[in-house]
Amino acid sequence: MEGSALIKRLAIICAVACILIGCGTSYRWSKSHPLYTQVPYSALSVTGTENAFILTRSKWFAKKLEVAPESAQVQLTAFARQVFLDEMKRAYPALKELPDTAVTKFPEESQKLDDKVFIKGHFPEQGVNVKDAQGGIPQYILILHEFIIGTDINREVFYDYELIRQESAEKKTSNNLSAILSYTLWDNENQRPLFSAVDEIQRPIAKLAMEDLRAVVAEAAKKIRINLYEGVQK
Amino acid sequence: MRRIPLAIAIVFALAATSFAGNVYFNKRPVLWQNPDILIWTPDSESPVDPKELCLSLKRNNPSIGEPKCRLFGEWERDSIAMHYAVWLKKNINPKLGDDYLHIRHPALMDKVQHLEDNIVLYLADIGNTISVAIFDETSTNPKVTGSVTKTNDKIALGDEIASTFFAGKTKRRLSKEERKKMLDEPDDFYKEVPNFRAWAGLSIGHSQAHIPLTPDNWTESHTKSQVRNYRITRDSVSLWNFIEDSDPLLSAYVGGIWYGFIGLELIYRFAKHRVKTDENDPVYEELDHWDFYQHEVGLNAMFARSYNIKKWFDIDLFAFLGFQYSFYVEDIALKEEVEKPSKAYEVRIRFEEAYKGGLFGGGAQFVFFNHYGIGLRTGIATRGRDMYVDPTPDAAAAPTVIGGSTIDCFISLGFEYHWSL
Repeated sequence: MEGSALIKRLAIICAVACILIGCGTSYRWSKSHPLYTQVPYSALSVTGTENAFILTRSKWFAKKLEVAPESAQVQLTAFARQVFLDEMKRAYPALKELPDTAVTKFPEESQKLDDKVFIKGHFPEQGVNVKDAQGGIPQYILILHEFIIGTDINREVFYDYELIRQESAEKKTSNNLSAILSYTLWDNENQRPLFSAVDEIQRPIAKLAMEDLRAVVAEAAKKIRINLYEGVQK
Repeated sequence: MRRIPLAIAIVFALAATSFAGNVYFNKRPVLWQNPDILIWTPDSESPVDPKELCLSLKRNNPSIGEPKCRLFGEWERDSIAMHYAVWLKKNINPKLGDDYLHIRHPALMDKVQHLEDNIVLYLADIGNTISVAIFDETSTNPKVTGSVTKTNDKIALGDEIASTFFAGKTKRRLSKEERKKMLDEPDDFYKEVPNFRAWAGLSIGHSQAHIPLTPDNWTESHTKSQVRNYRITRDSVSLWNFIEDSDPLLSAYVGGIWYGFIGLELIYRFAKHRVKTDENDPVYEELDHWDFYQHEVGLNAMFARSYNIKKWFDIDLFAFLGFQYSFYVEDIALKEEVEKPSKAYEVRIRFEEAYKGGLFGGGAQFVFFNHYGIGLRTGIATRGRDMYVDPTPDAAAAPTVIGGSTIDCFISLGFEYHWSL
């Protein structure tokens, strides 16, 4: 009796202390719409891939991967895009690609995932269906907003508005190849953002090779599939 | 037998609610007297007849006065508004709150913000039911959404809409001049924090050695101790070994706060504590009473945060940290018939002249009409011996100070008067 009373009191003290101090920063990196009840199985289209890929420290990548520095950005992002599309097609064989202009003609808006986390992107207007080249209306569109490839970068620094202005330290060594990506699964029939998320992939590197770049992008694509599946509202 | 009318009434009431429409959320839009109601629908034909709707409104809510209802042609001819109207038809859902129905197009947001005091009633036919939403100028989200059962009887439909969505209290509609004046008026909530605010107050409270939520055995050894033969206790580390700890606490204080943030408070606290004499000890038969009056003077530093809840009501939350001096004044008397006190009486315990201690805690001040305040404070007070005495070689041999570590907690309710400069 004595012991249980003590434990209860300690629990209350801990709870009060926790409220007063605030138990660390935690982020919610994804948001599901209340009506996101079904994963898109086959009918998926993707857009945004033409402009989403960005390579940071492109000179470093050019040096390590032995690519001409002037064309590293173009070459490597084109490579990443192709890997991404191939990987997505493995899960969605009927994946359709829409040009970026399908959504970029709409104004850029921000969407709140968490108290501190906002993503920016182009979302189709309410009441307007996006059409593919054949004039059909795809049911689900995966809008890829940003896909940043770099070394040792964290999503907090890119998406937490309190940290956004922090300058990153000049680095001589790189431990991880990183990819940070934000995307939205768009219900094109009802114009709802069904699921939005920011993902981060880290891959330890010893000596950078094209294979590492491929692996990181492929893992990101896989992560999207897993998140889309887990984001469904039960 | 008397219960039968009641039962019938209940059945009717239940029947009425089952026929009434569903409200998915209600953010309480203002319902004006003599309102202009603009009916907006994405369908080719409005599900209600504006004239019948107006009559239903008057029947259901007599305080509404003379409503005017018409179709909102301006928005029905506007392609952006129509896109949203079509979208809303698919998205009004019991699961979706107003955030999910936010108008995203800047042009339509602008239109909503310029509705002035008109009420937009959105109606969309979705098969068996009619989705309803209400917009006003204060928000680019719908203020209310819900649904009513679809019927071809336009009078019944109007009645259902009126009873479900227009049943509340009405407000007098302002004239153009009044609206303009309201817009120019300073906002009540925009009030500068005064540079300096002072207060004086009196409070009553309670103090005790046992701090809530801590184990009893932290204080039990002190609070359960008794004094035998005028000086013998289990130990003398706390004054609570000698005197009662759980007593009323009275205090008077004056304080001030700069910029609603940092403040100082001078306090005087008073309590009367009875000595816990051992009733079984016959030596006390000569004793009439033995009490100590506790006088304390202290100074607190405060850190506060002000919240302006209403024009006439503010809440200030604060934490304080301070120091105090405690003085114990003995009040002892023998019974009248006792001529000579016992030896033990003569050599009874003596407390220190003064104890030094700290205070910390928090509280809230509720200030009404900028002057009248109620203050709630709670915290912990300590009293110890003066630490700033040079150690002497014979310190170990010196007698221990009684009450070297005396801790209690307190809670008090104060009545205050405030001034702002």
